[in-house]
Amino acid sequence: MDERTSLSRRKLLHTLAGTGVIAAADLAWWDAPYIGPRKAWGAEPVRFQWSVPEPTRIALMNSLAERFNQSQKDFAVQIEYVPQAQARQKLISSITGGSPPDLCQVWDNWVGQFNGMGAVEDISARAKSWKHYADVAPTAWQTVTINNQIISLPLAVTLDGIYYRTDRLKELGLKEPTPDWTWDEFLGIAKAFTKADKNQYGYGMRGGGTWALLYPSEFAYANGAEVLKDGKVVINSKEAVDALAWYLDLALKHKVTPPSAATDGFVEIVETFGRGVTSMYQHNSGSSGQQKKNVGADKFATLPLPIGPANKRASFWFSETLTMFKGAKNKEGAWQFMSFMLEDEPSLKYNSTLGLLPARQSILKQPEFANDPALAGFVNSFGIGIVSPYLAYPGWGGKIDSDGVPLIQQAILGKISPKDCLDRFADILKKEMS
Amino acid sequence: MKRRHVPTDLAERVLAGPVVWIGLVLLTAFALGPFIWMLLTSLKDRQELYATPLQYLPVHPTFENYIDAWTSPVTPFSRFFLNSLWVCSVTMVATTVVSVLAGYAIARFRFAGRDALLLIFLATQMFPSVLLIAPLLTQWRALGLIDTYQALIYSNFSFTVPFTVWMMVGYFSSIPRDLEESAMIDGCNHFTALCRIVLPLAAPGIAATAIFAFVVSWSELLFAISFTTETSMRTLSAGLLYMVGQYEVQWGPLSAGVILSTVPVAVLFSFLQRHLIHGLTAGAVKG
Amino acid sequence: MTTLSLAKPRPRPLISWRVRKLLIGYSYLVPAALCMLATVVVPIILAIKMSLYADVLYKPADYRFIGLGNYVRLVQDPVFWLTLWNSVVWVFGSVILQFVFGFAAALLLQQAFRGRALVRTLTLLPWIIPGVVVGLIWQWLYQPNYGVINDLLIRAGWMHERLAWLSSPDTAMAAVVFANVWRGIPFFAIMLLAGLQSVPDELYEAAHVDGAGVLARFWHITLPLLRPIIVVATATRIIWTFNYADLIFVMTGGGPANATQITSTYTLLQAYSSLDFGYAGALSVVLLVVMLVFTALYLRVTKGVEETA
Repeated sequence: MDERTSLSRRKLLHTLAGTGVIAAADLAWWDAPYIGPRKAWGAEPVRFQWSVPEPTRIALMNSLAERFNQSQKDFAVQIEYVPQAQARQKLISSITGGSPPDLCQVWDNWVGQFNGMGAVEDISARAKSWKHYADVAPTAWQTVTINNQIISLPLAVTLDGIYYRTDRLKELGLKEPTPDWTWDEFLGIAKAFTKADKNQYGYGMRGGGTWALLYPSEFAYANGAEVLKDGKVVINSKEAVDALAWYLDLALKHKVTPPSAATDGFVEIVETFGRGVTSMYQHNSGSSGQQKKNVGADKFATLPLPIGPANKRASFWFSETLTMFKGAKNKEGAWQFMSFMLEDEPSLKYNSTLGLLPARQSILKQPEFANDPALAGFVNSFGIGIVSPYLAYPGWGGKIDSDGVPLIQQAILGKISPKDCLDRFADILKKEMS
Repeated sequence: MKRRHVPTDLAERVLAGPVVWIGLVLLTAFALGPFIWMLLTSLKDRQELYATPLQYLPVHPTFENYIDAWTSPVTPFSRFFLNSLWVCSVTMVATTVVSVLAGYAIARFRFAGRDALLLIFLATQMFPSVLLIAPLLTQWRALGLIDTYQALIYSNFSFTVPFTVWMMVGYFSSIPRDLEESAMIDGCNHFTALCRIVLPLAAPGIAATAIFAFVVSWSELLFAISFTTETSMRTLSAGLLYMVGQYEVQWGPLSAGVILSTVPVAVLFSFLQRHLIHGLTAGAVKG
Repeated sequence: MTTLSLAKPRPRPLISWRVRKLLIGYSYLVPAALCMLATVVVPIILAIKMSLYADVLYKPADYRFIGLGNYVRLVQDPVFWLTLWNSVVWVFGSVILQFVFGFAAALLLQQAFRGRALVRTLTLLPWIIPGVVVGLIWQWLYQPNYGVINDLLIRAGWMHERLAWLSSPDTAMAAVVFANVWRGIPFFAIMLLAGLQSVPDELYEAAHVDGAGVLARFWHITLPLLRPIIVVATATRIIWTFNYADLIFVMTGGGPANATQITSTYTLLQAYSSLDFGYAGALSVVLLVVMLVFTALYLRVTKGVEETA
């Protein structure tokens, strides 16, 4: 027997004891937070979940929270950063577990579902007596109003427009399109931009994520179609089918879209434009800051969506909101922070750093937003903005993700016809209309 | 001392010679390929990352990605590192100890419900862990264990132990009983037989189990995000995801973070793999 | 080296030897069992209960007991059957390839050569990275426009057109399986390498003396002795892969058009997008039952962890 490798009984028992003790010990000396705003004595904590952590935003939010904490002694905001992909899961789990954060930053399409769960606090009273209530655009309020109750505060609003490469347009010797451009002009420019052998494509079509379905819906509105009419689902009307057919032809017939279109989500369409693979794409103002870094501020600009055959067009409002939960322990503190974020300076700093548009009209008029060509397309779209019709029912959001997106992906791949796609989608929507 | 085995037939000569070399080269290339790409990416600055056509070697290699990741106050990789190291080490030790004991008992003793117990252990792995988060979150919150190392350690522990028990059952089953039985005839009891005879023989298995426990908790993500709220308590895997922004994945810092995160495990493994050597059973079986 | 010694006469114990043995056996299991109970078994039972209710989170007014209603819906759901088939392809494709290549790797890494420690450490690396990050990396590699794979293949002249690996229903599943195989080989390599160490040299020597070639020795000695470990490793890996949603979720989100949707990603979607926890619970329970049946059969057929010789 090899004595060296034998383990004495004593040693084994000691290890066991050690493990147990260490595992059970309260590691107080390591518990002190390493970073984060310092708490004032006696300040009530406000738990705030932030769902888009990335270095720029983290630094920005930390400094805004610090300013808030220092500007008053009653409340101290603690920010919890949750990576985007897990943010929704975590919110749902903490709501069902009975301990939601006091406040969270989410998008308007999530709020409807949370409200349906009965988790969101009604802030109509607070909002209406707020000093800046009238300054926020009515359509912005509409995105956060359900059943005449205001359930959340819009932090930033945006809508969809088209980004395009101005330098490539010049190279091709084409005329710069006006904000009133039409579908035909759009198609013409997309075709001119497409050089498959050089790995350049005209339009970065989106096939992944909720908005893969919403972008063609916006085009459908330009053809005179609607989603809901008189309370009935008409997403599969003739005008909508024709519009979808035209939209899909971009990929199937004219081939102005890259081969990855069917699964490209927003990260991909932003990145492919940023790398010069696509020369146009549809998105909200949120990625304008990113493109200034990727492509260069002087090489691109934005336009509203093109006018369709019915001489109409529409763009869906989309807002980033601050939402308070019913189960919050510190509602007053949460409200104080929410209204702080919409004060002049914080709102200006937040929106201009991230390329978003402030919900308050007086701030929107500032030169940072009014004079920026990258934001021009969106500012010019305010007249055609409508609240997304898909916010009408809380059940629609989830169904779009789980059932609607696979349908549009199949349509982009040419496996089902536009009519088939919309008929089936209409059925899905009708089922969730309770 | 092992006698050097002289290959005599053709098949063996071929297999022992060139096949082994080609095999090793292919294996390492396959495993390392994406890592080499990560390493190159981590040394590029932003411009080179976005260059088209694709640039492979960095023209101006830079360490700024590493420095940024490590020292950044908003994503303190140094802190994430320590958190992960602590949680995974404790999990590894606890898991190994418990599964060695349980595995031995199941492998050696025949008792009622043995097979059912094995199946139940395995069944705990058959449920999507995402659905278990909500009840676990309530539990930990009720116990006041949110934002502590304990919650992570207990959760990791509970999910690695079923696997590791199974693994140890497998390893113990392949060690012949005769050795312990002859030791017990000599006067040892079960526990001493376990310590003195079986454990040294099962050392490769134990090393494999320890590595498994460490690696699984090192790469574990879901619990780390669900049971912690403070940035200072996040682990390395959760920290890596901070590099996934809303509109772009920051490949520079992310690949630097990935390379950094492989270092401790590689170090640990290079120590443990010493036990994965042949010859411990030499001389053990007679006749 | 065994010396003959007289067995010492044992005093009559209070508890019989048999019962004592049983108690010792159980006591070894107590720590493990307690933890299982608290953190896993109880939540699973809660989830089973959840599946018997109509539990859609944003319709709290409709919450009621519906017995097997969710299960009936499941049986009639064509997407569910599609995901089940996808799961089978995903699991068996991944595990078989991981096992074969992992075994080859274990055999290679067992040979003595200079720098063995380094090579072993390097081949372990794919396993270390969190699944979500592996998904991101491979998604980037597969990117048709600026991904390395397409770039290298075109430069080498083996391909002329850029293939969208993850966007085409024909290649998407193969592409994610490939990434999963990359990630899973180290697991088998380590497990089997550890197992290979316990095969005594003498057996090989004896067989060699008897005239058995390399392949015969492998077939008649290595495999049978390794059986418990092979069964354990493959069974645990199959179960784990069935439930493994991260990679697919990140790389394709189940698309395009459900081509890579496996049952566990479908469950995730139902739970966190549709907020239909009742249906998600039913899906998980069905998956659990399928895997239990499979495991029981698998263990029986391979004679499980019965001891060798």
